[in-house]
Amino acid sequence: MTYQKNELILKAENVSLQYGDKVILRDINFELHNITRPEVTQGQVVSLIGRSGIGKTQLFKILAGLNQPTTGVVKIGVDMHKVQEGEVGVVSQNYILFNHRSIRQNLLIALERDKKNTDQQKKEIVDDYADKFNLKEHLDKYPMQLSGGQRQRVSILQQALTGNQFILLDEPFSGLDVLVIDKVVELLLKISTIHELSTLIVVSHDIENSLAISDTVFILANQPGKQGATITEKLDLIDMGFAWDPHIRENSQFQDLVKQMKFKI
Amino acid sequence: MMNNIFKPFGVLSNRNMLILIFVQIVLALIIWQLSGGGLIPGPGKVGARALQIINSRDFWDNFMSSLMLTLKGMSIALVLSLVISYLSLLPFFRPLAKFVIKCRYLTLTGLIFLFTFLTTDGSQLKLGLLLFGIVPFFVTSFLSIIDAIDKQEFELCTTMGMNRWRTLWEVIIVGRLDQVLEVMRQNFAIAWMMITMVEGLSMSEGGLGTMLIKSNKYIDLATVFSVLFIIFLIGVFFDYILGVLRHWLFPYTKLQIRKQ
Repeated sequence: MTYQKNELILKAENVSLQYGDKVILRDINFELHNITRPEVTQGQVVSLIGRSGIGKTQLFKILAGLNQPTTGVVKIGVDMHKVQEGEVGVVSQNYILFNHRSIRQNLLIALERDKKNTDQQKKEIVDDYADKFNLKEHLDKYPMQLSGGQRQRVSILQQALTGNQFILLDEPFSGLDVLVIDKVVELLLKISTIHELSTLIVVSHDIENSLAISDTVFILANQPGKQGATITEKLDLIDMGFAWDPHIRENSQFQDLVKQMKFKI
Repeated sequence: MMNNIFKPFGVLSNRNMLILIFVQIVLALIIWQLSGGGLIPGPGKVGARALQIINSRDFWDNFMSSLMLTLKGMSIALVLSLVISYLSLLPFFRPLAKFVIKCRYLTLTGLIFLFTFLTTDGSQLKLGLLLFGIVPFFVTSFLSIIDAIDKQEFELCTTMGMNRWRTLWEVIIVGRLDQVLEVMRQNFAIAWMMITMVEGLSMSEGGLGTMLIKSNKYIDLATVFSVLFIIFLIGVFFDYILGVLRHWLFPYTKLQIRKQ
């Protein structure tokens, strides 16, 4: 597999979070680089894996600029500026949408910042994406009329349409059945290849599915004798030969890796 | 049906629910008839008197007077309450909103003199008292709706690049417009209940409240019960109309209600 790791696009520097005496996150440091492959529009999928209650959602909000860390900073973009709220798309665990708007309106509202396209062009963009992501027949429905999996698809697509380079997904595989999970995996991979710099950051406790779609995985865990979770391990799945393979779950070495990871979180 | 009616969270079909309501009404009327006598008029007498009242021109004049006052009071109260509720999102106006919702604990009776002093005629007095009575309840309901909004909905707006004013418009004003109608529906009952009280303060313009007070004065209990019955039915009718209007204007609200 030929690929190149280019410029830095995200950096978490000494991020920690503390509420009173309770340390939630400690010394979080990691970097993401722009990955390019010849003749392929290649975004990337990064996973932050940790067990429930470890502080994943707190880190998720800090990465999105929605919460401020006690110390440290998260920088994004080629110019490495401090992340601001609104610069990073967020797909929450319960797929929040505007319940008073139809699916079409929910998607159109995501294009409000887009000044290049006319209203007609925006409608065409929405139709086109809805078609690609099997949502066309649901465009005139309201969010309450959709199943959990359909709402999630709308939510992910909505964030993709905002034009945000980074999209954070909180537990995207939670509460979905096996068949729907396969569709989500397919959808995430499609979204990650929309743009060269598209970066999906999946925060999850689902090791197998997270590993199956990721290029890079960070393990968020506690260390003995120390308060607060931190990044304890980084897996470069591209170097390991496990990335960009739709049938990776059938690989026995990959399954061994999944088993090992279960003991590390 | 019999298995379901005493089961917690039991669900009945529309037809069975109608049958149940009909049976309970008949039972209530039988109990009323059997326990009546003396001064308390029976349901037959009240029904006959109600028909007589409805057929009189006097009733429709009084009814229109009460209805117009209620609608006028509700409309002004709605605008005032919305303005206070939306302004409460600006820290400067929060103490004002907090004070208004605490006004629920002020009794109107003690303030009649003040309102008489501040207003120029009976009509203004009634309207003023009505507004003072309804607005605190409206604002309380609106603020509880705003407080119940999931924080993630605001975060969604942030990720869409909306500024705070645009977020206020999308989440609070447009996003909760259906609930404004629901609050109106719930508080219409308070307004309708208060109308009879404030009408008693200035009887020159008539109204259902005036009818009630006059009948009470002459211990004409058949008329009192008939007017109460009519007031009750009109209230139930408006409650239904506002519910239908809410579902018609905001079709998504139908999807959020558990079928009873």
